[in-house]
Amino acid sequence: MNIDNTASQMRKGVLEFCILSIIKLGEAYPSDIIDIMKSANLNILEGTLYPLLTRLKNAEFLTYRWVESNSGPPRKYFSLTEKGAKFYEELEATWLELAGAVETITGKNKQP
Amino acid sequence: MKKVININFQGTIVPIEESSYELLQQYIESLRRYFANEEGKDEIINDIESRISELFQERLKGGSTCITDDDVNAIIKNMGRPEDFEEAESSENNESSNRGSDEKNKSFFQGDFSWKGKRLYRDENNKILGGVCSGIAAYFGIDPVIVRILFLVSGIGILAYIILWMFVPGSNSLENGVRKRLYRNPDGKIIGGVCSGIGSYFDVNPWLPRFIFLIPFISFFFRWGHIGPLTFPNFLSFSFSPGSFIVYIILWLVIPEATTTSEKLEMKGEKVDLNSIKNSVLKEMKEVGVRVGKMGQDVGERVGKMGKEAGEIAKEKSADFGKEIHSASRRSSGVLGKIIITLFKIFLYFILGCIALAIIVGLFSIAIVAIGLFPALNNFLFAEGWQHLLAWGTLIFFIAVPVIGIITFIIRRFARIKSSNRLMRWSFVGLWILGWVCFISLIVSVGKDFKSISSLNPEPITLINPTSKSLDVMPIENINYRRIGWFNFEPFDFGATDDTAFIRNVRIKITKSPTDSFQVSVLKMTNGQTRRAADTLLSLIKFNVSQSDSVLMIDRAITINTTDKFRNQNVEVTIAVPVGHFIKINKGFDYGNFVRFGPFFSGNDRWYYDNDDNGYDYNYGQQYVMKEDGLYTLDGKRSDGRDDWNNNSTEDQNESTPPGNNNGGSYRYDPNNKVDSLKNAQEKQLQKMQSAVDSMKAEQRKEVDKMKDSLNKAKEEINQKIEKLNKATALYQNTSEQKFSENYTFIMYI
Repeated sequence: MNIDNTASQMRKGVLEFCILSIIKLGEAYPSDIIDIMKSANLNILEGTLYPLLTRLKNAEFLTYRWVESNSGPPRKYFSLTEKGAKFYEELEATWLELAGAVETITGKNKQP
Repeated sequence: MKKVININFQGTIVPIEESSYELLQQYIESLRRYFANEEGKDEIINDIESRISELFQERLKGGSTCITDDDVNAIIKNMGRPEDFEEAESSENNESSNRGSDEKNKSFFQGDFSWKGKRLYRDENNKILGGVCSGIAAYFGIDPVIVRILFLVSGIGILAYIILWMFVPGSNSLENGVRKRLYRNPDGKIIGGVCSGIGSYFDVNPWLPRFIFLIPFISFFFRWGHIGPLTFPNFLSFSFSPGSFIVYIILWLVIPEATTTSEKLEMKGEKVDLNSIKNSVLKEMKEVGVRVGKMGQDVGERVGKMGKEAGEIAKEKSADFGKEIHSASRRSSGVLGKIIITLFKIFLYFILGCIALAIIVGLFSIAIVAIGLFPALNNFLFAEGWQHLLAWGTLIFFIAVPVIGIITFIIRRFARIKSSNRLMRWSFVGLWILGWVCFISLIVSVGKDFKSISSLNPEPITLINPTSKSLDVMPIENINYRRIGWFNFEPFDFGATDDTAFIRNVRIKITKSPTDSFQVSVLKMTNGQTRRAADTLLSLIKFNVSQSDSVLMIDRAITINTTDKFRNQNVEVTIAVPVGHFIKINKGFDYGNFVRFGPFFSGNDRWYYDNDDNGYDYNYGQQYVMKEDGLYTLDGKRSDGRDDWNNNSTEDQNESTPPGNNNGGSYRYDPNNKVDSLKNAQEKQLQKMQSAVDSMKAEQRKEVDKMKDSLNKAKEEINQKIEKLNKATALYQNTSEQKFSENYTFIMYI
């Protein structure tokens, strides 16, 4: 077991949740998503973001529209579908449950 | 100093340094390979490219004149290399694994791969049939081509394949870690670079495969294990020298040549990335430098070649992209649908496999027959000079070329070599056309040699005791008829020496003697280019007949030699048996292979017409007695087995015998009509009835009145039938005449 691997596994597990929550705030462009995550100190490679977005889009949680850009080719702006919103709610519930549980357990640990 | 090129990248023009462009290509290809199994991989790649393009535009707007290596490297660092998001992917796969069983395999596999050791899967991405071979190749880390060839070559391969197909689970994410592939090595070649390529694939000195290929030739030289000239097992085994030659040629055609630097690296099994390509190019450049030092020339050429190679790499890569777009993965939903599709595929492939197998087997047997026949035909049929040349041309271009072509096609198909081989295809077609030309001119030329026919009048043999009660015909056993090998297509039995052969064109005909003594005559016939040549050949036919008591000894075969050639020499022995005498033809004359070349209904073909005109049917090794109306066995059956027919006709007479009936003129058909065998039979039957009727007149006179009516009815019926028959035969006559006149085929009797 190496620590890097475990840490990245943990991080990646909540990646979809984070991405959905960013997009939920409003239409988002992938590089915006990266920026927001970076500012929250959650580093992610752009190369992993694109396949993730495509997968979510193929699962009909996301939809996108083309926006003309004055720097380069038109951009894809992603937004949440109804199904995606539902999915997000479920994820959120799971996350809160999990976070609560983890907090309780690790909190207990801290108290000797 | 760097060269800057303009590329059209995602719809915008980007000036980019050439090396950076290569870097970019390399990167995108690595992504493409990485996402090859992803559902929306084209979309992902497209998104990433768009983003990169956007970043490029930003740089250019920031004041750069062009994109440099640093820019590209920075972008790649931001985006991440496939290695960087490897771990992330594995966890994502786990997340998505509940989506379908397919995905489950994937994650299981990766789990297995990392800690539980390897498991055998079928490779769904790299399959031709069911992905068994590429799965095995991935398991052992070798080139799938090798596994495929082994499966093809081994006898139980097909069965094993089907079983493995059924029981080994499929996987979409199998990656054959080995980037080593089998190529022909153009740099170390002596003939085609095959051995050199094999050597570098197996990491051995190229002289080892060369030596293996040469062994047959060396053994040929020392005559190790050479039993017969062209017996079957020897023909296919490697101990027969042309075997390895053919294998070499096929490998030459099948294995692609490593022309570009990346292919050369793949050949050596080095990881293909930009660094290793660079290294290799540098290495080659260094070599060039050494050579320059040594010879002081050649540099420009070589460098030009480098540039060309780089261009080729780029070209190939882009071609690969195109291919990969086309092979976007398709997944069917629903287990039942999958099962049905799989079953259907198995069925389809099974049928296709059967057809392919039949074609290959057919081709092989044609080739083997041709090669087996070849020495005999060459020695004893074709004249020296042009005909020999044409015969070789026919063998090589008409027979060998399509065989090699189709085998090559199949192996290329299996090896998934898709390089454009238009040149090869056209040269195959061209050579085959040449083969046709050879074949046709050979037939025409040989046909000329058979044009004239010569035959002497039957030459009577004086018998010592012609009135003896019986005559046995025995073969003269002074010739060694033993055949060589168990696999023999040759029409000729080999003689004691290499340039003579025995040909068993001896027929024995039994006829009825008009006198009360046996009469034997010998008729010799032959073809030839001219009447005179045929006459000469005729005089050369030696045929011995001798007699001791009641045994007639005659030759069983005619000797032909390589100088006089075979020109349909044949001998017909006619034995006339007097009524009441016995005749027996020894079994030794059986199993003869009657050989004859020539067109079918060629009018002037004497023995063909003589065949069943006056001779009686008989079996070898059985005693017969001659009676007034034919040849009978000792227990009273007709030699031709027509007893039944006779009995039937007698019964017919009893039923419809009219007393005092006249000759039945009304039964006669119009004599102007063309004679036909069917009609003849009918007429004969009627005549027999008539004669029987006459003989029975007296006995049946009492029943006349009763029978008259029925007879008349029968008569009418027969009339009607004959009319119908006439019509039918007239029709048949027309059509069959047309047919026969066109029927002129080259036929060989064996």
